Amino acid sequence: MLYNIHFSIDVDVAMPVEDKSKSLLPFLSSPKLLPDESEAEFQSGLQSLLSELDNPSPLAVALVSQLNECLWWIKRHTVDKELLLHEAMARLLSREGSNWMGSGNSKLSVALEHYLGGSAHKDEVDFIDQALTEANLTLSDLRAKAFKDAARHIKMVDDLIHRQHQTMRHLQRSIDSIDYKSRLIKRMDLELAALELKQSVKEVSSLDAKPS
Amino acid sequence: MPNHRRNLANRCNALKSTGPRSVAGKRVSSQNSRKHGLNSSPDFECSCEYRALVELIAEEGFSAFACADIASGLLNYRRVMDAYYDTYTSPEPVDEFMRDMNVKASNPIFSELLSPSGSEPQDVREMAAFFASMQRQERRKGGPVSRRSSDTHKLIRYQRNGIARLSRAIRQG
Repeated sequence: MLYNIHFSIDVDVAMPVEDKSKSLLPFLSSPKLLPDESEAEFQSGLQSLLSELDNPSPLAVALVSQLNECLWWIKRHTVDKELLLHEAMARLLSREGSNWMGSGNSKLSVALEHYLGGSAHKDEVDFIDQALTEANLTLSDLRAKAFKDAARHIKMVDDLIHRQHQTMRHLQRSIDSIDYKSRLIKRMDLELAALELKQSVKEVSSLDAKPS
Repeated sequence: MPNHRRNLANRCNALKSTGPRSVAGKRVSSQNSRKHGLNSSPDFECSCEYRALVELIAEEGFSAFACADIASGLLNYRRVMDAYYDTYTSPEPVDEFMRDMNVKASNPIFSELLSPSGSEPQDVREMAAFFASMQRQERRKGGPVSRRSSDTHKLIRYQRNGIARLSRAIRQG
């Protein structure tokens, strides 16, 4: 069931704004991370974004945490682009070598992943070298071919990254709008106070001018 | 029975299935194609998150209408992003058997499996063609990363609409 919203609000409405922004952090910024991702890194990104705002309102904090999530998604999708290439390279190697299908694509993918990451064992290196020789390809040839083969999916990931950028632009405009609104309210309050002051000065001076 | 043969026999037998018969089974299978549920319009106004958000936003000087719009826009956006995460983290699994099987080499097994029903070479060819098309489909979908990318790509429009709704509510508020 995907409707459930994965956060809870625990905010006392009588709290000052600074405290509210702090207590809102777990509300909208509780991250849904992948097993190999660091929550500390996510939170430090959020804190650095928040530090750029001058006394943010709770709504601004909520929007900034969404913005931080977009940045996180961009990071994930960028990694995916490289993984897509690796996947296509494994697929091509498997297709080119006649006897590789029998041993399964998974073994080849794992070996290739280790090979490209520089953490392959000797037998994995031999396995990939043999596959490349049989396919009559160098690693850069394979990469170029894989790029062509995976172009459709890479384009999709590019679209996803572009969407996150667009979303960030929307969020930034919303944050600016909230900021402008609060400045406007402050300015109007000050103007009102100045007018009241002027009025009271006028009243006092008119009282002084009256003959007793 | 060798593993490949057994798997193939299971697949062939599954083709004979006529689907669910009980009411409960039909109810379950009616939800099979449901992916994310983002086309529905949930009623946020009953949730406590919504009420708390409205109270909080009202303190920032927004009108009551704007508060309601912003709160439901924010909750809707969160709903989309939660579905985005769920889609990304649970792509359709790769059917390695189908992807890696050698359809041509499986023809003798097909004919053996079909023989009790008095199969003809035409039946075997049809069975092989069916498995070959399933294999093409499976291979076209690619590996786990390709699958999660294309599944997540389908949610772009929901994210676009969600953020546009939220942004509009805030700027007009």
